[in-house]
Amino acid sequence: MRYVRWTIFVGFWLTVLGFLHYTLPQHDVVRIVNTYEENTSVSGWTRMFWSSPDDTTSVEATRFVQFIQAVRPNGDVEVYRNEDTGWSWPPYFKFDTANLYAEANDLVSTAEVPKWTVITHYGWRNEVISIFPNAIAVRAVDSPDVRVIPWFNIGLLVVLFAVFWAVRVRWLRFRARRIDPVMQDVGEAFDAAGDQISDTRGWLARQFGRK
Amino acid sequence: MIGFFRLVVIGAVVLSVIYLWISWTSRAAQRRKLLADWEEQALTGDRDAFVAAGMQVYERSLRYRLIVLVYVIPVVVVGTIIYVTNYY
Repeated sequence: MRYVRWTIFVGFWLTVLGFLHYTLPQHDVVRIVNTYEENTSVSGWTRMFWSSPDDTTSVEATRFVQFIQAVRPNGDVEVYRNEDTGWSWPPYFKFDTANLYAEANDLVSTAEVPKWTVITHYGWRNEVISIFPNAIAVRAVDSPDVRVIPWFNIGLLVVLFAVFWAVRVRWLRFRARRIDPVMQDVGEAFDAAGDQISDTRGWLARQFGRK
Repeated sequence: MIGFFRLVVIGAVVLSVIYLWISWTSRAAQRRKLLADWEEQALTGDRDAFVAAGMQVYERSLRYRLIVLVYVIPVVVVGTIIYVTNYY
């Protein structure tokens, strides 16, 4: 029983952490190599990793999506998509996709004369199921050794932790006040019933057991 | 545009639920505090009138008006996000 409870706890918190890791913004220092637009399949079970359009009611199988190709300082490549989030989830309210595309194009550079940039993005890159992080903002920086402190993430996580702690404190207080006494009574009732059964069994055993 | 209206409607419903919940809990807490004051100070006379008068004072207090922030803060936050994401 303990394993089941532990598994559920761990599974729950992994889901919460995974959700936060996907949705909260992250910053990458990269050199933008190219931008392009591709007719991509956005249907299927990976639909949730692509932006859903606000206006259309029909479900399209493919759609033109803008991408930004970039290279990290250590040589790894990273490809971002560039899509509106609109008024729906996640609440970035990103409408300036075309502007961001223009800014990214302005910062395209080569390995010989690199222009380093910091790209703010959310989401995951997975080559196997072909999902891409969504770029939110891009800005030029002087060198790839810049230190970016995620202030917004820090603030939000502190607030979330405070909310979780407040709920937890109230739940524990409620449990101590209301539920534990009842459980104690139930436990005592079970004990009394158990004693009664033992006594009865003793009497029966005395009647029908070995004399 | 439909996305915006959807957000506004859902936001209005959710925020109204939160506002009513906080409002009710706050009023109940204030009522309980007034009753406790009555017991503590061992007052005599009409207890209900005392509680009603205390609630009237509460309705003019700052804490009562602060609950309206439940509507104001999300709108300000969304506006800030839109500005920072699109125009910064």
